[in-house]
Amino acid sequence: MTSHTQKALTEIARIRDGFAVSGYICDQKIATALHLAQQLEKPLLVEGPPGVGKTELAKAAAQYLGLDLIRLQCYEGLDESKALYEWQYGKQLLYTQVLREKLSELMDGADTLGASMGRLNDFEDVFFSEQFLQERPLLAALRQDAGCVLLLDEIDKADSEFEAFLLEILSDYQISVPELGTIQAKTRPLVFLTSNNTRELSDALKRRCLHLYIAFPEPAREAEILKARVPELEDAVARQLVDFVAGIRKLDIKKPPAISETIDWARTVLLLSASQLSAEFVEDTLNVLLKFKSDIEIVSPQIQTLLRETRDAS
Amino acid sequence: MFIVSDFVRVLRAADINVSTAETIEAGRMLDMMGFADRDLVKTGLSQILAKSESDKEAFDECFEDYFTALSFAEEQDDKADGPEASEPVPTEGEAPSTASQSPANGGLSDLLLQGDNAALAAAMARAASQVGLAEAKLFTQSGLFTRRIMEAMGLEALEQDLSARRGEGDADGVQAIEGARRKLFEMVRDYVDTQIKLRTANAGRRVREDALSRVKLSNLDRSDMRIMRGLVEKLAKRLATAHSRRRTKAQRGIVDIRKTLRRNQSHDGLLIDLVWKTKKIDRPRLITMCDVSGSVAAYAKFLLMFLYNLDEVIPKTRSFVFSNQCGEVTDLFQEQDLEQAMARAITHYGGGSTDYGQSLSDLAHYIIDDIDHRTTLMILGDGRSNFGHPGHDILRDLAARARRVIWLNPEPQALWNTGDSEMHRLGAYCHLVQTCNTIRHLERVLDNLLRAH
Repeated sequence: MTSHTQKALTEIARIRDGFAVSGYICDQKIATALHLAQQLEKPLLVEGPPGVGKTELAKAAAQYLGLDLIRLQCYEGLDESKALYEWQYGKQLLYTQVLREKLSELMDGADTLGASMGRLNDFEDVFFSEQFLQERPLLAALRQDAGCVLLLDEIDKADSEFEAFLLEILSDYQISVPELGTIQAKTRPLVFLTSNNTRELSDALKRRCLHLYIAFPEPAREAEILKARVPELEDAVARQLVDFVAGIRKLDIKKPPAISETIDWARTVLLLSASQLSAEFVEDTLNVLLKFKSDIEIVSPQIQTLLRETRDAS
Repeated sequence: MFIVSDFVRVLRAADINVSTAETIEAGRMLDMMGFADRDLVKTGLSQILAKSESDKEAFDECFEDYFTALSFAEEQDDKADGPEASEPVPTEGEAPSTASQSPANGGLSDLLLQGDNAALAAAMARAASQVGLAEAKLFTQSGLFTRRIMEAMGLEALEQDLSARRGEGDADGVQAIEGARRKLFEMVRDYVDTQIKLRTANAGRRVREDALSRVKLSNLDRSDMRIMRGLVEKLAKRLATAHSRRRTKAQRGIVDIRKTLRRNQSHDGLLIDLVWKTKKIDRPRLITMCDVSGSVAAYAKFLLMFLYNLDEVIPKTRSFVFSNQCGEVTDLFQEQDLEQAMARAITHYGGGSTDYGQSLSDLAHYIIDDIDHRTTLMILGDGRSNFGHPGHDILRDLAARARRVIWLNPEPQALWNTGDSEMHRLGAYCHLVQTCNTIRHLERVLDNLLRAH
């Protein structure tokens, strides 16, 4: 085994441990992706079904690295002025009004138009300076001294124009603002993009990113996650819960329950102080797991069978 | 980094699009992490090179095949030996003489006699790149390449050695070497087969798909159906991505006063930020009517298959099928999977002989309230009404209300208006009448339909 590999493996193991401390249980794949993203300085595109912890991953990474998390929620119609920067017109106008007298004082004595222009020129940048610049998440992320974790959440919801606009940031960590010039990142931020795959992202974007697909976790790992999130839960119950949910995911339903729903369900179990899963309890609380009426109708007749399978498994 | 670029070539053969930038990135990653941990290499490469769920599946298969063929264990040994040995296969640019030297100098028979499999595999890989195995296109070339590789590995020297030993009467030696040579042949043959399979497995499929998309739908074998289904899905997906992008189009030069005023309220009513008028591009509302009587059922099946997959771009599609009467299958299509829905539609409505008059009046009854200036009516049928009333007056009324009426006829144009075909009367009220009997035709029609809106 070579020293490079050894080093990488140690680093990956360290990431896994570090994440576990902040309550995020990640597998080898996720840790490797994070390690690569750091080492290669590439953005990480995270895809997977809703509720498997894509956004959580970014939060956990920020916590692990001790950096600020800057988040940009994408939506249809999101544009530069919401994502990058905006001039505060109102403030600029107000200042011009207030400074009007001062300005005329300044102009005093300039005979020709040219001379006034000359004087104004000396102050040209006053109104287009940092003072009037409203930072939005992307600019803020580039100007962090210590670096940060930048999360572009649900990038698939934004328009393809916005996607194209992001390319400069994603590949070179810089953006061009016409009035200020090109702004380079002081420290390169660690960028996460998440997508629920509601539409196909462009190849150009994908090419610039590492791609991590998070699927529903194995029952054993999901039990670990439950343990970390709901520590009061007994091991046996956790295992039973997880197996039951895994059973549901195999059925043909509209929206299979995600990890976040399993966690909610575990909390419900605690709240109602149920010591084990009974058919009755499941029937009553199924709406925590399933969000569509049609799904509940599919699952409820099968509760007994699913519970039996769970029991056999354990 | 021959390994990386060669592996990327295999991935591309498996329909995964890998760019040069990504290849470089993969090289950087391997430099950083080395080859020693197989899982680590696999995970890392998959994150860099495969960018969607289906790509990842294909990637996993390629990775397993490729690195078994190359014998992974041996590679890490080489890597550990030092920088010189870190490239088990020389790049094509290097002088081949240096590559072939070691085995050619009588080394091959020694290697065979010692049974040093790792060294043999390395020599084989080197010889393979020297004779350009990566360029092989067809599985029929495997014999040729096997021979060439064996020659590059020093077969000639081996033969000479063999005849020399024969001359000396070293019977044991001769037998041992002959046995070893047979083993070597098997080994090289295996290696060549795997390599060619890796690189050309998809080429065959691609040729087949290309041919299938041009063949008449009625001439398809049952065995082609599976490939065809995949093909239809792929085309539908392509159309969907091409047309799901832009739904508004800016009309530069016309200011949208209302929006501008609202946007600039915060600037004290000063119009600093202008908003241009945009034109919304409507997605078409589609109503389809397919003939499912025996003669054209094969075509209807594909049209419906296409529409089934296009659901994402044309969400408000109502589908009807008819033979001697017309019935709606929209719900059936939404609730059941394709095969089942098709079968039910055909058994339920497909029995009788075609009656256009009755079917069109049924259709009018269902849709007359729903059809407006945004609706496109698409009819698939051969226009043969068994000498009954063609119902052209009903079609005229429908066409007056609809945005467009498109008639797709599976028959070639030369056959229209012969016998009981009523195309001249029905076609008069359509905006577009077209022959449509291959997947290509179908794609073109739907592409135009989506673009026109």
